[in-house]
Amino acid sequence: MLELLPPLNDHNLPWMDTIHPIVVHFVIAMALIAFVFDVVGVVWRKPALFEASFWNLLFATGAIFVAIIFGQVEAGLAAPYGASRHLLDIHTTIGWSLAGVLSLLAAWRYVLRNRDPQVLPLSYLGAGSLVSALVVVQMLLGDRLIWTYGLHTVKVVAAMREGLI
Amino acid sequence: MVSLPLLTMPLLLELAYAPEQPPVEQIAQMLGANGLPYSLPIHPNLVHLTIGLFVIAIAFDVVGALYPLEKRVFRFLALPITRGGFHDVGWYNLLACCLVTVFTVAAGFYEMLTAVPLPDVRSTFGLGGMTTMLWHGVGGVLVLAIITAMTVWRGVQRYVWRRDMGRQVQWLYLAVGVVMYAVIGLHGTLGAQLAAEFGVHIAADQLLQAGADLHTALP
Repeated sequence: MLELLPPLNDHNLPWMDTIHPIVVHFVIAMALIAFVFDVVGVVWRKPALFEASFWNLLFATGAIFVAIIFGQVEAGLAAPYGASRHLLDIHTTIGWSLAGVLSLLAAWRYVLRNRDPQVLPLSYLGAGSLVSALVVVQMLLGDRLIWTYGLHTVKVVAAMREGLI
Repeated sequence: MVSLPLLTMPLLLELAYAPEQPPVEQIAQMLGANGLPYSLPIHPNLVHLTIGLFVIAIAFDVVGALYPLEKRVFRFLALPITRGGFHDVGWYNLLACCLVTVFTVAAGFYEMLTAVPLPDVRSTFGLGGMTTMLWHGVGGVLVLAIITAMTVWRGVQRYVWRRDMGRQVQWLYLAVGVVMYAVIGLHGTLGAQLAAEFGVHIAADQLLQAGADLHTALP
């Protein structure tokens, strides 16, 4: 499979730079703002925010599958070392789970919106807060892979190729 | 000629008050291996929000503007839509983007104070660390200014100029938004290079530069 990709560069990637962190902008930002808009919409009684929240959630749900595809390819080329191997495993597991969880939440939201777009039950807000927390945990795990362990950075890839790590 | 001693006087006074060490050195004891007083940088996390919110705001205003073309597609998908709903996303996402980006830029400048780009590195763009950081810093303020201006522009279109119109945005606004995609893309690439190529605030990169063994330094 990997020989189908172009040769690897100094980021150990077949493309210019990591794509996964770019795609996750749209999962993190859209999933979190959907919850914020829901809460503000309920508190200030602004149903227009519910509509904005719905579309953001739908977009986040679509984007997470793209994020997983690039995440899997780039994780496969990341050459994790030390505790980052374990972190990458958890990040992968939560990532796939989050795809399921976000899909369920979006499906629930679709049904709610079809019934009455002006109202949100409290139970949905509760679920939204849990999913948002999971998104933040997943973001922090990904943060450690890059900001602590420097996976796919030029310096770490060079050290890996010299056999230092 | 007479004024020369007068001119050099303030200069000498300034020198007399020069701090013993640069400000970054004064807090050096508080910084971790990543060059920050905390374990993960804040700026890149806020960047998710700035970029995501801006891109989706413009995208949904484009969808709202092209509404007459896509009506049938959404009916086929059994997804109830209103044109106003798309423009709601365009407005509220941009408003949120504007508010968040103030903090994105603020965090970026704080973290730039303690940034140490790896020496002797040339980026893919052929720039050095300091030059890349300067462009990314100046660019960040410019991007914030443009996002703020666009938010005001968008708000006036929504609530004043085009309040009673189906298409809530001017074509020029959408064109500026698409140009900003390119600007933010370029700007974000500079930021990504600061991390992945210059190792700014990446613990592993900075430890390797200091000659540490990652097996023991980052178990």
